[in-house]
Amino acid sequence: MSYTLRGRVDSRLAAALLPLLAACVLAALVHAWWPVELAGLMLGVGLALDVLVYDRVLDYQPGWLAVPLGVLELLLTLAAADGFSVRAPLGPALAFYGGSWLVAQALGHAGFPLLRLSYAEDGGELGSSGPGAAALVAVAFAAAGGIAWAKLPPTVHLAQGVHRGPLVITRRENLVGERGAVVRGGIVVRADGVTVRNGSVLGGENGIDVEEARHVVLDHVTVAGAALDGIHVRRSQVTIRGCVIDSPAGWTQGIDLSFNADKGMSMVEGCTIVGGRQGIVIDSSGAVVSGNRVSATSLQAITMTEMSMGTIERNEVVGALGAGIVCDDQSECMIERNRVSGTRADSSTDALSQKGYGIISNYKATAELADNELLGNARGVTTFAGAVVTDAP
Amino acid sequence: MTQVAIVGGGLAGFVSYLTLVHGGVQPDEIAVFDPDPDPAAIWRRRAAAIRQRAMRSESDGHCLPTSFPGLAVRDAVRRRSPVPLVRSVCDRYHPSVDLFLEHVAELREQSGWDERVRRERVERVLPTEGGFFVLEGHGVFRHVLLALGHPGLALPEELADDPRVVHAYEPHEYSEEVTVVGAGMAAATEWLNALAAGSRVVSVRRREPARRPLNVERELFSRRGLAGFQRTGRSERVALLRRFGEPSYPPGPAWDRPLDQAAADGRFRIEPTVNGSVQVICATGFRRGWMHDALLADLVARHRLDTELGWIVVADDCSVPALTDETRTLALAGAPAQWAYPAADTLVGAKYAARAFLRRVRRCRTR
Repeated sequence: MSYTLRGRVDSRLAAALLPLLAACVLAALVHAWWPVELAGLMLGVGLALDVLVYDRVLDYQPGWLAVPLGVLELLLTLAAADGFSVRAPLGPALAFYGGSWLVAQALGHAGFPLLRLSYAEDGGELGSSGPGAAALVAVAFAAAGGIAWAKLPPTVHLAQGVHRGPLVITRRENLVGERGAVVRGGIVVRADGVTVRNGSVLGGENGIDVEEARHVVLDHVTVAGAALDGIHVRRSQVTIRGCVIDSPAGWTQGIDLSFNADKGMSMVEGCTIVGGRQGIVIDSSGAVVSGNRVSATSLQAITMTEMSMGTIERNEVVGALGAGIVCDDQSECMIERNRVSGTRADSSTDALSQKGYGIISNYKATAELADNELLGNARGVTTFAGAVVTDAP
Repeated sequence: MTQVAIVGGGLAGFVSYLTLVHGGVQPDEIAVFDPDPDPAAIWRRRAAAIRQRAMRSESDGHCLPTSFPGLAVRDAVRRRSPVPLVRSVCDRYHPSVDLFLEHVAELREQSGWDERVRRERVERVLPTEGGFFVLEGHGVFRHVLLALGHPGLALPEELADDPRVVHAYEPHEYSEEVTVVGAGMAAATEWLNALAAGSRVVSVRRREPARRPLNVERELFSRRGLAGFQRTGRSERVALLRRFGEPSYPPGPAWDRPLDQAAADGRFRIEPTVNGSVQVICATGFRRGWMHDALLADLVARHRLDTELGWIVVADDCSVPALTDETRTLALAGAPAQWAYPAADTLVGAKYAARAFLRRVRRCRTR
């Protein structure tokens, strides 16, 4: 078929109506916006290609070309989803895309020609139905956007200055700290969908305490002087980005994520942690620990233990006393592209695990190593008690 | 009251009738004028004469008003195989002549066509207030579509009285040596027919044929290419139409392989002029131009219709401007409508004219 530009746009928009409706229903069923976001990305990618590429390149488009063009649009949609952080599960997203593609093909080859006599002759234009379809698509997206906007959690701004804690958050909300906002005594999160952005926490038993909550985001928070853990997470799912934690000496930990194995994967990314007995502890949880800098710990810098599963990648561990990265107690760890330097033996103990190893796999744990850089450590890589170290394929 | 007359009951008239009915015009508002009620009669005779087995047209080469479902779908259902559909999306599906004729017969029966055909020949169309007289005693028709078909077979002047000559579209067998004049689709078909019959073939051609799947570029079948065509000035449009009229046949080994083999065996050769062959087959197509059709020639002469060489200058919707206004329509379908639609002599072209005609009928309907 030889599409005109308007024909391409008309057909694209009209064919998007049914998938968009399905996406709205699906979004309501799964309580997530990814179907609508995905439908929007698919439509955006398609329209961009229609205007910028297809109309200029394709005077005539044979039917078979829909297959490679569909694959191209799928790849671009996936890339866009990645770029816009659309959290769509891959399988359902592919199924949704495939279904939408089939609907578009069925409409293009059969539906539109049946509805409009001169569909092919008009190069895919749908007459007055074209703007109608555009309006409906716009209304659908506007409605979805409006609902999403209305359902956005309230944002609470924490003004500059010192606030007496602990602040206890028991509803879905965004807590945004202004520059110079400090909470003395900790923040406690007890609700799903809470975001804490910016701001500092001073002291408290735990700096930030998250319990029984999902989809919690701790974004660029600073914690100093917590008596136990800088960030303490139990039975929750969190994303921690760009945090700064300064742990005092003693039995303290920078970040402790424990007992979250059934809550989904958590993420600790881009944090800077200084001091404490342990920098980052993942215990009975699934987590990705990526791009952090952990220094001056006095027991272990990064630990994944007690049947945890996850990835420890692109972290920098500097000057740890005792051990650098530890995969422990039947955990499955992928340890890749980390840089571990200056790990020292702890002369105050005879424990073998404290002899200054850069990487340890202990007690039936399996550590898969790839491209790690070990520099100036007292010892290199070792295994204890039936643990295994393998090279990544 | 009968509002609409279709003059000519061939395939173009048939497609127009089906399109009008599909578009909401009641069958009893339509009168079709043709001595032969079989819409495929002429086409069948010509196809049989050149032993055509498959259509040159692709999936859209059918008579249904909508492009879906076409013959590929019908064929796929019948054969319980997706192959026709796959071939269709690859522009490689050419329905068989038998399938096409069966489809025409089926539509003819289902559509009540025969009841609408008035078996009379129309010699002239006379405009009157609010419509046209087509034949005495049949009243005034508000809208008239002339689907007259080709105005006869074309023969080169120098061969007109040669007793050896037969036109490709007339029944014939093949002698031991056959000269085929022409280089289009019919000529190519005749080369293969004669070779298959055991003849030696001499191809006489004035120019090398173009190799293209369809008569005209695909984009010219839709608004994308058509808009540019319809914006052209007269001389440019004439040049384009001449180019589209040059002989061509589809590319592909199904054509090339037997010809190459026959050439290697000394059974196929090309010559510039007709030689002493016992049989000369003129695959030279149809006469072109309004002047070869008595009805059109009369219209042009009486009403001084705007023409450019052999073409009547019709509007983009195939209507004749001098005889069309808010209350009545005179439009052309088939080859005479080429000025508006270069592939007017195809089934898709007939549908283009029919849809445009339908729009005018709808716009001007009064009851």
